[in-house]
Amino acid sequence: MQPVVHFKNVNKSYGALTAVDDLDLAIAPGQFVTLLGPSGCGKSTTLRMLGGFDSPTSGEIYLEGKPISHLPPNRRNVNIVFQDYALFPHLTVGRNIAFGLELKGMESAAIHKRVSDLLALVSLQDHAERMPAQLSGGQRQRVALMRALAPDPNVLLLDEPLSALDAKLRQQMQIELKSIQKKTGKTFIFVTHDQEEALTMSDVIVVMNKGRIEQMGGPDELYARPRSRFVANFIGQSNFLEGTVASVSGGIASVEWRGNAVNADVNGTAPIPGDHVTVALRPEAVFCLSRKPEDRQSLKGRIDQRVFKGAHTSLTVKLDNGSTLEAQIDPVALSHIEGDDVWVGWRDRDAVLLAK
Amino acid sequence: MRTYFNDLPKTALGASYWIFAVYLVLPLALMMAMSFKDANFIAFPIGNWTLSWYGKVIQDKQFLEASLYSIGIALATTISATIIGVWIALLVSAENIWGKAVIFALACLPAVVPGLINAISMRIFIRAVDIPTGTFAIILAHTVHAVPFVVIMVLTRLRSMPANLVDAARDLGADPFIAFLRVTIPYLMPALFGGMIFCVLTSIDDFVRTFFLGGYQPTLPMLIFAKVQGGMSPEINAMATIVLVVTTAVGLYAEHFTRRSRS
Repeated sequence: MQPVVHFKNVNKSYGALTAVDDLDLAIAPGQFVTLLGPSGCGKSTTLRMLGGFDSPTSGEIYLEGKPISHLPPNRRNVNIVFQDYALFPHLTVGRNIAFGLELKGMESAAIHKRVSDLLALVSLQDHAERMPAQLSGGQRQRVALMRALAPDPNVLLLDEPLSALDAKLRQQMQIELKSIQKKTGKTFIFVTHDQEEALTMSDVIVVMNKGRIEQMGGPDELYARPRSRFVANFIGQSNFLEGTVASVSGGIASVEWRGNAVNADVNGTAPIPGDHVTVALRPEAVFCLSRKPEDRQSLKGRIDQRVFKGAHTSLTVKLDNGSTLEAQIDPVALSHIEGDDVWVGWRDRDAVLLAK
Repeated sequence: MRTYFNDLPKTALGASYWIFAVYLVLPLALMMAMSFKDANFIAFPIGNWTLSWYGKVIQDKQFLEASLYSIGIALATTISATIIGVWIALLVSAENIWGKAVIFALACLPAVVPGLINAISMRIFIRAVDIPTGTFAIILAHTVHAVPFVVIMVLTRLRSMPANLVDAARDLGADPFIAFLRVTIPYLMPALFGGMIFCVLTSIDDFVRTFFLGGYQPTLPMLIFAKVQGGMSPEINAMATIVLVVTTAVGLYAEHFTRRSRS
């Protein structure tokens, strides 16, 4: 399938600062794609270049196969939802949404119909005559979304649109955004620095760092199979074990780590014995037992810190090999207290080798 | 005693404000009162009250002509000063303009140059470039004087404008000109309106520039000045009262409008 958006070798620099570094990104139509990364990673610049508010220093952007880098924002069939919504304060909600339609030369009866359909989609039918200043944050958010959807763009761009909302409303809007995306079948490109937001809504997450793509994939894939230390750390939490590969068999590497042999999935890498590698291990993949298990590998340690967090309990285990490991366990399953001896381990496939 | 002493600064401030208010209003009140006096000289007591001076003023062809002339000049001044002022404000607020500070300083200069100096220099200038004294020269001088106020008011408003508003308009299909017309201008409206009212009032009020640059046709201040030279009379008071009431009403309305549209 032809990608709806295609960045080909796109660079953007401001003087000596490189914001986007040789970006190659193809986005399939109808997907909810999230550009995720810390501030300054180039995700907003990427979005602004697609919207037409910044032009690439080199490279080309294609929209449905046609190069668009030379077109001004008003001649691109993409629309953007701004972080601060940017609703026109002098126009009513209805007129805000109608703005793009009027400029398209649509006749007023059709505009009226389209505006009320869109308002109905977000249950704001009664608010067409209100001014933006009379709306709550969540309502403004919805109006901005409908205004951007009104001209029927191929691709909708969303620049951290949920960051101004409080936690509860944000969660509600995440669900709503996702369902609107499904209903309309449009390609959504969503920019955020919030990994939870990205995991909740996306079909595809593009993790960016220092102007480059670190990794791209589905939320579960990125979570379970991070390729780099950056991704393993930015999405969720991880333990990092640095050691030397001893042997590899059946996609499982045995790694010499501080005098212990531990196993990890090769995770698409091709390690050879003697390689220095980093193993990423999610805290919730770690098990803690009070007796040494006979049937699987384990490491002996002592509970250094125990923090009850409601849904789970966090343990910091000081291992006999001198390092510490974070573990997340079921809060009722274990009656360990600080100072107790424990045996920790994990299933081989739950630990992954990192490529870098 | 102690609390009273502590409150003294406050009490003194309050009292001095009222003294100032009386000093401000009393001359105006006296002027207005005298316009109703049924005698052709100005002195207390008023004795008999009359509206005849107003009747006389309203039927005074000179007064009506001067009023219309002043209003015409004020409107022309307002239009040209607003266009130039908005243009300068946009220029100064643009991101990559060289010499921004200089442009802004030059645009604001006429606000601080004394009116008399301004008037004399303009007089020399129009003679040098062969512009005759009269309507055009007056409008030229009034415009130069009014521009800084438009610039400052529009610039203040522009600086509070979210940058994304124009981006949003562009994104929804507006070219730069449509975005300016349909988003920037409406956003600037309160400042534009306030600035325009200010232009009208300064132009109608101006004496010194008009005096140096005017032709034979008198503006309202010139007419009143000419009449005063012939001796004060209740008729002048009536004229002045009409001007005062109209300009105050316009000013208050502008203030009300600006305040409402900002909230």
